[in-house]
Amino acid sequence: MAEPFLELIGIGKAYPGVQALADVSLAVSAGEVVGLIGENGAGKSTLMKVLGGVVAPSSGVIRLDGQDRPSLTVKDAIAAGIAFVHQELNLFDNLDAAANVFIGREPRIGGPLNLIDRRKLRASVRPLLERLGCDFKPETPVIDLSIAQRQQLEIAKALSLGARVVIMDEPTSSLTISETNRLLDIIGDLKASGVAIIFISHRLNEIEQCVDRVVVLRDGRLVGALDRVAIRHDAMIRLMIGRDLKELYTPPAAPPGESVLELVALKTSAYPERSVSLSLRRGEILGLAGLIGAGRTELARALFGIDRLAGGGIVLAGQPIVIANPRDAIDRGIYLIPEDRKQSGLILEHSIASNISLPDLMSYASFALISGSREDRNATAQCKALRIKTRDVATLVGALSGGNQQKVVLAKWLSMRPRVLIFDEPTRGVDVGAKTEIYELMRALADKGVAILMISSDLEEVIGVSDRMAVMHEGAIAGILERDSFSEETIMQLAVGHSIH
Amino acid sequence: MKNLMLTSAVAALFASTVFCAQAADKKTLVFVANGASDFWKAAEAGVKKAQEELPNYNLQFKYPEQSAAAIQERLMDDLVAGGVAGIMVSAVDPKTETDALDRVASHTLLLTTDSDAPKSKRLAYIGSSNVLAGNQVGEILKKALPNGGKCMAYVGLPGADNARERIQGIKDTIKGTKIEIVDVRADDIDQARAKRNVEDTLTANPNVDCMLGIYSYNIPQIYQALKESGALGKITVTGFDDDPITLGGIKEGTIAGTVVQQPYEWGYQGMKDMAKILEGDKSFIPKDNLMIIPTKVIDKAGVDDYAAQLKKLQGKG
Amino acid sequence: MLKKDASLLVLILVIGVVTAYLNPRFISPINLSNTANLIGLFGLYAIGAGFVIITGGIDLSVGSLFALLGVVFIDLLTRYQMNWGLAVALMVLAGMAIGAIHAFLIVKMRLQPFIVTLCGLLLYRGIARWYTDDGTAGFEFGQSFPSLEWITTGRTYGVPHSFVVFILVAIVMGIVLHGSVFGRYLCAVGKNEEAARYSGIQTGLVIAAAYVIASGLAGLSSVYFVMYTRSISPASHGNFYELYGIAAAVLGGCSLRGGEGSVFGIVLGAILLQILQNLVNLLGIPSSLNFAVMGAVILIGVLADQQFVNYRQWLRGRRDDAALARNAPPKDAGA
Repeated sequence: MAEPFLELIGIGKAYPGVQALADVSLAVSAGEVVGLIGENGAGKSTLMKVLGGVVAPSSGVIRLDGQDRPSLTVKDAIAAGIAFVHQELNLFDNLDAAANVFIGREPRIGGPLNLIDRRKLRASVRPLLERLGCDFKPETPVIDLSIAQRQQLEIAKALSLGARVVIMDEPTSSLTISETNRLLDIIGDLKASGVAIIFISHRLNEIEQCVDRVVVLRDGRLVGALDRVAIRHDAMIRLMIGRDLKELYTPPAAPPGESVLELVALKTSAYPERSVSLSLRRGEILGLAGLIGAGRTELARALFGIDRLAGGGIVLAGQPIVIANPRDAIDRGIYLIPEDRKQSGLILEHSIASNISLPDLMSYASFALISGSREDRNATAQCKALRIKTRDVATLVGALSGGNQQKVVLAKWLSMRPRVLIFDEPTRGVDVGAKTEIYELMRALADKGVAILMISSDLEEVIGVSDRMAVMHEGAIAGILERDSFSEETIMQLAVGHSIH
Repeated sequence: MKNLMLTSAVAALFASTVFCAQAADKKTLVFVANGASDFWKAAEAGVKKAQEELPNYNLQFKYPEQSAAAIQERLMDDLVAGGVAGIMVSAVDPKTETDALDRVASHTLLLTTDSDAPKSKRLAYIGSSNVLAGNQVGEILKKALPNGGKCMAYVGLPGADNARERIQGIKDTIKGTKIEIVDVRADDIDQARAKRNVEDTLTANPNVDCMLGIYSYNIPQIYQALKESGALGKITVTGFDDDPITLGGIKEGTIAGTVVQQPYEWGYQGMKDMAKILEGDKSFIPKDNLMIIPTKVIDKAGVDDYAAQLKKLQGKG
Repeated sequence: MLKKDASLLVLILVIGVVTAYLNPRFISPINLSNTANLIGLFGLYAIGAGFVIITGGIDLSVGSLFALLGVVFIDLLTRYQMNWGLAVALMVLAGMAIGAIHAFLIVKMRLQPFIVTLCGLLLYRGIARWYTDDGTAGFEFGQSFPSLEWITTGRTYGVPHSFVVFILVAIVMGIVLHGSVFGRYLCAVGKNEEAARYSGIQTGLVIAAAYVIASGLAGLSSVYFVMYTRSISPASHGNFYELYGIAAAVLGGCSLRGGEGSVFGIVLGAILLQILQNLVNLLGIPSSLNFAVMGAVILIGVLADQQFVNYRQWLRGRRDDAALARNAPPKDAGA
């Protein structure tokens, strides 16, 4: 292997009250794919910010092409060919693909008029897109691109900047299986052309598939590195959480009870021509698998009263009900843990306590005046029960890690009386340790008689957690699988619309 | 630029279609006010009176939608495009409107009223002399304060010519006496601020002897503030114009007097003069082109008659 | 008390001390009483403006609403000889009705608050001018309404009743905003409407309530303004007053992005604006500089506040660095 061109040596970074990084060393050589894993809050983002020149380390040395420096600036990082493909993509969706690639470096024409040379712009972007095998054109508006395409565009942008190392932060969290495979191919191509990749992911399958070695961070320290041959799930998890992870599936304490929620030929606005009939039973976890865009989130939104039904009906415990808005759903004990918790699940600038009390504020109030102590007491109890890691319940939710945020969303609903809980991608952006805790919680709730509908695009999760599974394809249920017939292959077959014989 | 020309062309076309219909048989004379207020009601009455005597003319009274020079200019341009024979205008801002007034004057007969624009090509000014009116207020002061005193003046826009001339007129007359104007407070035509200015004066200069209301609403606001602070009657109040509160205060004896203009006469005489000029008679215009219609002093003795007359003119009697 | 409120209070105190030093009459009872009266007048509707801003909206129509409701109010009392209590109640109800119309257009028709209330600004002033035929509406000379005047312009031991009403409304609104379920909903909707909806809050109703409250308070304010000036020229009455309300709210810590604000801050904002106008007159600064003084002082105040925040952050940064140097692990740790 070639000599590393980029080395971090003994990097430390302290924030008030937190040692985010301590003595981390990492070397990257050309054409190498390095996996970086660790629970949320382990220091991955800080380390990447040090590389990007956004954060100056408090100690340590960055050796770039043999030259030692105490820190980088953003400019240094770009000049050195360090490029990012962020989790939240940084594209201007009001511009076209080409304009995004060359934003801030547009070829000019017309002398003092400083006009943008569109032709040259597009001509220089086209080969980049071809190299990555993109199926869109330089002039395609970004708003029309899928998440996967946007990511490819980000990579194209990195290449146009002469990137020698591309850092990908959770690149597959919003991708479908086939899109993920496409990305892994691209990573292979980049590697072959000598570009190094730092691949950050919670999805251990992908890490296994594509990286040359794995570096594991825990509590700001480097706790281990695994070579290609040593990369295995259990080994990675042990390093990340410092202990062994149990088998995902816990069987229910009792067989499922009577049907609680019945969807009768339900139609959503996304697929007004197709209908869903489904029955959810007391005490079971029903997984809802399918490709992104299969209409699962739309189904959840309609059930929760966010969107209007396009047809069909809902029966709750034998009674037909009408859900016109989320309040109707909440009053009946149907709760939703939404896909995008930062946008829909939480008010990040509000405290843990006031987020938890929000859906049921009246019961914390006398004469419409809120009792802060009642709110705090309940929130404290919830934090304890759900093991939410925080100093106190006045902490702003935005300051919590992804897993703890998700637990706050859960705490909102667990403070009330859930009958049906709909989880939409319950562990997206949640670290391994917290994932397990969330699965345990789901099982405990189901055992108490709650009916759980879990939408998930993570096959490992949907197979590992569900008691029963429905697979959706283009707005309709393509098939329902019992636990003994779960397999990745069957699910994918159904998800892409093939029938199972 | 192109856009602007296009817009004005369209506007002119539109205006001409509107006005041609009326202007076909009778000549049209228009009185353009500087903004909407009660004050112009009397002038409107004068124009109406003149219409009775000028059956061969079509007399109109126009308000700009807003008291802004640009809007008034557009209104006049539209009128010119519509082919009116004469315009009599109270310019919102005579100084900056010179060009626009010249443009109008080059196409039609133009008189100014209320506030003059002497540098423009208007044929003549017909209206009050603010300086002479100020002199009259000065005389009221001399009578009320024989031993002299300190005066505070209140005005909407102190930079406007009418305000400046009125104050100048007062100063000219009180020169040599022991009466002096110590400060002028402005309110930007915000009545709440006008009242607070008076209140603040009572705090900052409690020994002021008299208060001058330069704009029509200033005396009423002085009156209210004094009344609420209990200083009514202790301070001499005078100034301009004929707000009902002003007239009431004069009758009550708490306001020394006011000087009023005669917008009725402006409207009446102005329209008749324009007709005369259009018929070829310019001999009555004085050399300085200023046809002054004198302002009147209203004191306790004359206030009842005046109030009755005003009510009739404003159509409220 | 929020940190923003504290720095605003400091700014007010500094300006007050400087002004009182330059002209001791600034703190004379009569001046304080007069200023309190105006604070009451301008503060009353600023609270409503703040509520709307907290939802992430804006209400530009207030000044014109004063003109429209003002001329109608005068007409009800003079021409129709209506009982004043009924007339005041009608003004508040009319304000709330107009607020409900704004809310309908914003919530149901999904128009932008800026556009809706801008049209209100044009519309209400136009109607007011048409209604009075562009004349001045006012009471007859000597006409008096003792009870109404007692409640609006009256003073007890020098304390203006307008100020008392303002403080009462501020206390009630403060409790509503900071203590009640509705207040919490308001902040939640302003901060993140979608998350609020996912928590079962009827976000449309909450936003609508804010506009109804704002216009209702403006209706009440319009009565106070009428009784203060006792005469209204509809073309100019209340011009730009919406900006005083918005300025007071924003100075008081209401974020134009929504979700943040305190009633105490709005009260301080209203106080600051009126003190600035007062000092221009008391210090004999030319009236033409009125707005310039207001703009300059606010700018300097906000700038100083920001510098102070930066300074504190810098101090904290130094402390942290020092702490880090002390606690830095030995070089061979973890090796």
